[in-house]
Amino acid sequence: MVKTVNIAIASVGGQGGLTLSRVLAVAAVLDGLSVRTGETLGMAQRYGSVVSYVRIGARVFSPTFSESEGDYLLGLELLETARALRLLKPSGLVIVSDTIRPPVTASLNREVYDKNKLVDYIRSYAETLVVPAQKLATEVGNPRAANMVLLGVFHRHQDLITDTSMRKAISEVVPPKWLESSLRAFELGLSFIEKR
Amino acid sequence: MVNVLKAPAGVKLALMGNEAIARGLVEAGASVVTGYPGTPSSEVIMTLHEFGAGSEVYVEWAVNERVAFEVAYGASIGGARAAVTMKAPGASVALDPIVSSAYGGVEGGLMVLVADDPGPHTTQTEQDNRWLGFLAKLPLVSPSSPQEAKDLTVSSFDLSERIKLPVILRTTTRVNHSIGEVRLGPIRPPKKASLFKKDIPRFVRAGMLWNLERHKWLNKQLAAVEEVFERVSTVPNTVEGSSELCIVTEGSAYNYVAEAVSELGADVRVVKLTLLYPIPKKFLSKALDRCDKVLVVEELDPYLELVVKSLLAELDARVTVYGKSTGHLPLEGELNRKSVHNAVLTTLLASKVAVSTQSHSVAHQDVRIAPRPPPMCPGCPHRNMYIALLMGIARAGYRRDEVPVFGDIGCYALGVQPPLEAIWTEHSMGASISMAMGLKVAGYDKPVVAVIGDSTFYHAGVQSLVEAVHKQVDVLVVIADNSVVAMTGHQSTPAWSELESGRRSRPVPIESIIRAIGVDYVEVVDPYDIDSSIATFETLLKKPGVKVVISRHPCALMEARLRGVYRRYRVVSDRCVGCLACIRVTGCPAMFFDGSKVKIVEEDCLGCGLCARFCPYKAIEVVKLG
Repeated sequence: MVKTVNIAIASVGGQGGLTLSRVLAVAAVLDGLSVRTGETLGMAQRYGSVVSYVRIGARVFSPTFSESEGDYLLGLELLETARALRLLKPSGLVIVSDTIRPPVTASLNREVYDKNKLVDYIRSYAETLVVPAQKLATEVGNPRAANMVLLGVFHRHQDLITDTSMRKAISEVVPPKWLESSLRAFELGLSFIEKR
Repeated sequence: MVNVLKAPAGVKLALMGNEAIARGLVEAGASVVTGYPGTPSSEVIMTLHEFGAGSEVYVEWAVNERVAFEVAYGASIGGARAAVTMKAPGASVALDPIVSSAYGGVEGGLMVLVADDPGPHTTQTEQDNRWLGFLAKLPLVSPSSPQEAKDLTVSSFDLSERIKLPVILRTTTRVNHSIGEVRLGPIRPPKKASLFKKDIPRFVRAGMLWNLERHKWLNKQLAAVEEVFERVSTVPNTVEGSSELCIVTEGSAYNYVAEAVSELGADVRVVKLTLLYPIPKKFLSKALDRCDKVLVVEELDPYLELVVKSLLAELDARVTVYGKSTGHLPLEGELNRKSVHNAVLTTLLASKVAVSTQSHSVAHQDVRIAPRPPPMCPGCPHRNMYIALLMGIARAGYRRDEVPVFGDIGCYALGVQPPLEAIWTEHSMGASISMAMGLKVAGYDKPVVAVIGDSTFYHAGVQSLVEAVHKQVDVLVVIADNSVVAMTGHQSTPAWSELESGRRSRPVPIESIIRAIGVDYVEVVDPYDIDSSIATFETLLKKPGVKVVISRHPCALMEARLRGVYRRYRVVSDRCVGCLACIRVTGCPAMFFDGSKVKIVEEDCLGCGLCARFCPYKAIEVVKLG
């Protein structure tokens, strides 16, 4: 019996968090698994805090999960990842892009964030992989593919979804124009090893 | 990409609830589908547009929910299968024709999708439209998953045709916007209008005796719904288990129940209702037989709780009922795994210990994370409009805090966020103009302003403007025209000449409507030309009568998508002194303060140049792109 795996995806609206949850859901169904996601959609979310929930298992019902139930937290931005930490189990894994996008409310108050301090904060909560996802995505010529880099890193650290289904799901979800660079971003994520 | 509308029966796909409903409409053979965009309902029609429902099917956005419902109702009394989609408040907009439709009834099946929003995530209230069943006396069904949403869409049509009444498919955000595995069913050809048989007592509500007779007919139909539902619905009401400890639930709440019961390993009877109106009394009486305790798990109002209590009283059964009125579940907001788990534990299992709803602590509590409410996008023309309006108010000799700006529903309501905090109200579609008028006729002696978007103006602002003109009220109306229904995902407006479906349409320009209504002054400005916008607002604020400013510039996101970005701005580091004037004026999310200077996120800047206009040090310069 497959144990249900809970994945939270934290991002700033417009960064591609939704695509990430869609790829995971499609891949899970291709593998014959049960899946539920919980999303907040619409233009109203752009540049706002967004959390998507993905739950994969033998038979999943709830589209969301509660605090301290997450097995994985995939973060496309450090502040949103720190904000969503409460969803993660202490034994869970954070995979986070080293990107900071300070919100307007912070700049208006002259608040400045220190990347290292944020990373330490996240690490103090759970095991954390910090990925230069934006940089790697830019290397493949598609700065918007940071989400695919994270997906690659996640793929290496899970044994629920098969390689074939993950790749097939990417090709079903990502528009043809961005497919090749997205797959390359995914590969860079797969082969990424954190240097500390 | 798999075409969800054309994929063969038997295939299992990962579909979002709204995509599943769109597929269900094709499986059911709907030939007219219309609605008004509104989260979380919009993706049903968007999916039909994206994957092409086929030329046999009319799929178009309507000007508002009321018109949408009437279009669908007109189709169905002629024998066609029709559907209409709306968010929760849209049901109130359409309520008048919805209630009357129960008396005339339908010929072809008619499904009304009403998408409620417990949370709320994107809605002004947590309106519970399950009450619509009781109010409008129409059958109402509720799915718990994307699969059920698709299947119930099909069953709604079968039920509707047999019982000759519109059927309300009532969903919540966690069904509409949840992806799940969905097995597809066979597709039926679209059922189009066949014959509209003239039947005056049935369709003319002008005869009071006819209405009384039709009301009797309606009650007779309702009495038959449970039996017909059991025969035709592929998503039945269900009972699992036979314990004396019982749960009654429906919709998305069922998901939390199913997991709590299985994880607790508890011997509990779970009664899941799909038909929520009329109450399936026969089924429910049997399902609740020999229950000792009943926990009702549902979102929003204690609707089922009242139903269960009244039925148990009718049955003369002495049973303790737990739920929202006993404080075991919240009256507001969404349920979740833990709240339901705890409710089962503390009521049915009589445990004193609930699981903690607190997360474990984080070591470095000194990291403060500023909130990130959704702002207006970089380049958004509404930002320019608000800045010009606020500056125009000042130049006209008024203080910002004495000229109320009545807002309306759409992206421009995001102007409420700092630093602009421009609007004083956001109430309901079209209310900006009429509420501003109300304050004025009550004797308010300073100018009043209403800001309304183009689509919202078409939807419900036109009548308000007629009222203001007719009563000769002094009001400044700003129509923030970005040429699209932006907030819900860029749908068409009546100004378009070609629609998402490919249909050619005749544009109905805002100017023609306004001129026909006969306002005192009309000006059209481009908010990107900020200085002439300020001057226009200043001049018109000083004039009496109804003044309309059409502040017109396409949605920046749409423009960037259609035409690309041809220039961006960057901060010249040597010249930036970090005064933050740019951010304080614009609040643009593409800009941030790095501790000493301002930076612009290159890929987010859409090149509006507003920041450069307000930099006192000329430290922001344009970068032309190839």
